[in-house]
Amino acid sequence: MLQREFWIITFTIGFFLSCTKNEEEPLNVLAGGKTTVFVENSNSFQFPAPNLSIEELEQHRLGDQAFEAIFVTAPATNNSGLGPLFNQSACGSCHPKNGRSVFSENPGDLAGLLFRLSITGKGPHGEPLAVPGFGGQLQTKANLGKPAEANVDYQFKYVNGTFADGELYELRQAIFSLTNSYIPIPGGTLISPRMAPPVFGLGLLEFISESEILKNEDIQDSNGDGISGKANWVWDVQKSSIQLGRFGWKAGQPDLVQQAAAAYNEDMGVTNPLFKIESSTGQRQQDSLKDDPEIDQELLEQTAFYTRSLAVPAPRNQSDPTIQNGKRLFKKIGCEKCHLSSFKTGVSPFLFLSNQSIQPYTDLLLHDMGDALSDGRPDFNASGNEWRTPPLWGIGLTLLVNGHTHFLHDGRARNLQEAILWHEGEAKSSRDQFIKLNKSERSAILKFILSL
Amino acid sequence: MITTQLKYFLSFGIFFSIFSCSDEPVNPQSNYSEILKTETNQVIILTYYDLNEKAGLLSVRCDEFSSNKTQAHLDLMRQLWRDARKPWEQSEGFLFGPVDIQGIDPSIDSWPVNVIDLDAVLASSDPLTKEYLDGLEGTLKGFHTLEYLLFGIDGNKSVQEFTDRQIEYLKACAQSLKGETNKLHTAWISGPSPYGTILKTAGEPSNQVYLSQKSALQELLDGIITIADEVGNGKINDPFVTNNITLEESRFSANSKQDFADNIRSIQNIYFGSTDGNYNLNSLSGLIKTKDAALDSKIINQIQEAITAIINIPGTFTEAISANRAAVQNAQDQVRQLQLILESELKPLFDKL
Repeated sequence: MLQREFWIITFTIGFFLSCTKNEEEPLNVLAGGKTTVFVENSNSFQFPAPNLSIEELEQHRLGDQAFEAIFVTAPATNNSGLGPLFNQSACGSCHPKNGRSVFSENPGDLAGLLFRLSITGKGPHGEPLAVPGFGGQLQTKANLGKPAEANVDYQFKYVNGTFADGELYELRQAIFSLTNSYIPIPGGTLISPRMAPPVFGLGLLEFISESEILKNEDIQDSNGDGISGKANWVWDVQKSSIQLGRFGWKAGQPDLVQQAAAAYNEDMGVTNPLFKIESSTGQRQQDSLKDDPEIDQELLEQTAFYTRSLAVPAPRNQSDPTIQNGKRLFKKIGCEKCHLSSFKTGVSPFLFLSNQSIQPYTDLLLHDMGDALSDGRPDFNASGNEWRTPPLWGIGLTLLVNGHTHFLHDGRARNLQEAILWHEGEAKSSRDQFIKLNKSERSAILKFILSL
Repeated sequence: MITTQLKYFLSFGIFFSIFSCSDEPVNPQSNYSEILKTETNQVIILTYYDLNEKAGLLSVRCDEFSSNKTQAHLDLMRQLWRDARKPWEQSEGFLFGPVDIQGIDPSIDSWPVNVIDLDAVLASSDPLTKEYLDGLEGTLKGFHTLEYLLFGIDGNKSVQEFTDRQIEYLKACAQSLKGETNKLHTAWISGPSPYGTILKTAGEPSNQVYLSQKSALQELLDGIITIADEVGNGKINDPFVTNNITLEESRFSANSKQDFADNIRSIQNIYFGSTDGNYNLNSLSGLIKTKDAALDSKIINQIQEAITAIINIPGTFTEAISANRAAVQNAQDQVRQLQLILESELKPLFDKL
């Protein structure tokens, strides 16, 4: 059977099975608009958007292969170009099943946790300044025969607290240190741990219009609600201009192609048309090969398209009274001021992403999250204390998909409740109100978030 | 690696069938715990047990190789590699749980082999121990690195070609593989939260992973659909369509046809709830038989058609992708047909459970 015929049959089956009148069913929440799927198993983050065309599905399939491809040391017949310095050898290594990386119990194997580095100051486009001898990211692995930049170790620090109803809680934070560096790490180096997040639904976030995002900015908190919200403005390599930042823990990347390109270059040491120079350039680990860029624009676009065209899993059990109560309380204590539930995407060259009503539970803006969560490292306009609100859609499936419930930018939170309790800065009021709730109310909020 | 087309149209099935079923009668809640127990104990854990045993046998023979460097011993190691490969490929219909969330899969089955770094290790004076290999990337250990070492790039490596360092690497690599298969088997049966228990107790109030039995059953179903997709649209398709033999996964050992057939057998095993080819009442097949006996027969028949078509490809897969394209095409079609039935006919039944 020809491939195209195969797909036509598939579509036909789909349409015969369909019954779109039920889209109006209020409890079947389409978190990703028409990109939503209703799946509750370990593959929940791995489906293509169901509204892709046949051609787009084929693009998505190729992107899936690119995303899963394991790179090896050049020269090689297939998947050539890993390193010389790297953190992982495939996109999927940091984003298992397209989901959230675990906080590894073994410091020798960091899984999807990496460390951005910089020294004080800004580059010509406002970017963080690279650390001499180390660049902008710590690579903890290297091709055989070359030294990695450093190892990472950590010790846990514990913080204890009490809810208003007397129940005790404990928070855990890893205090990181860099060891065995191949050369001394310059004094004053700023270090930011970053845990790899899920990659589904990103296409929808990419095509929320700039004006829709910026209308929620309130940098001076002029409405006095304690929440500011600030866009990051970052360097767009392809456009050679400053653009709105949307992706990454500090919204440091403007779009998915650049996000993918930066990950290939820094995370895997794979040079590409946007970042043609090895991350090890100028260091003694640099290779002498003349094979850059090691992947072409087509592969880069395929990878970006894959993350752009993944489906968003639908929330579950929305008719459950506890979940409905949790949703009400979530709003009441102010969580939704940053974790915005409602957006509409603008016009996109990818029709499947255009004009979709979505519920990502993020505003894509930076917020001061307090000193406890601060990494002390500015990133374009983001201060050390500022982080972009992460989307909450699909978060309740993390245990099923990834086998853990580790959250926040450095994976310090062992569960959702710990993640909430780390909220300070602009989110302190909401955090404090959460602490004052009784046990059943706290449970309802957690159950609601886990239903997303 | 989970990449193939039927996974994508799977999403259509999910999307449309969910929307389609809300105005249809819903069957009363049934108890599927016996099915989950059977699938877990009689298929998944048994397969991982077998894998771990076979990896152990391979490791023992590799350990002996330096003192018994004969063609017969090399042939034995190659056969033991194939023997261990079989349960691994038969486990690919259920690539969820510890194999994935504990990151075990990359240590067992990463592809391609990192030949440049492997040569660098062999040329170095690093001690070649299990512990050393445990710390290396997946592309420097596991089945495919063992395959490369045992068979050579053209599958005809002679005993005389093995250097002392290669033998040391081979031993450590087999030990490392055995360590991973042991970790995998153990994770399903013991520890504070064995994954076997998690799957078997799906839907119970204490189970935070599978909140319903239906979710666990759909996990099993998605697993077999995914591997059908992978075989039909990835493993066969990529080297076949591009006519590029370097994209064939088990080329060094010429074991690809066996791999593909065992992948389809993994579907059969899950569907039958057994690993011996016999139908178990408490299985997906048993469940479907009560709801649509004709569909059950159709699935059983198509599984066999797919296996037969793969086995009937003349010669090696490497040869066939250029010399017997019609036979390869037929095998691909039969696997795709199986996937189509699972997706478009079986999955809607599951969605209504």
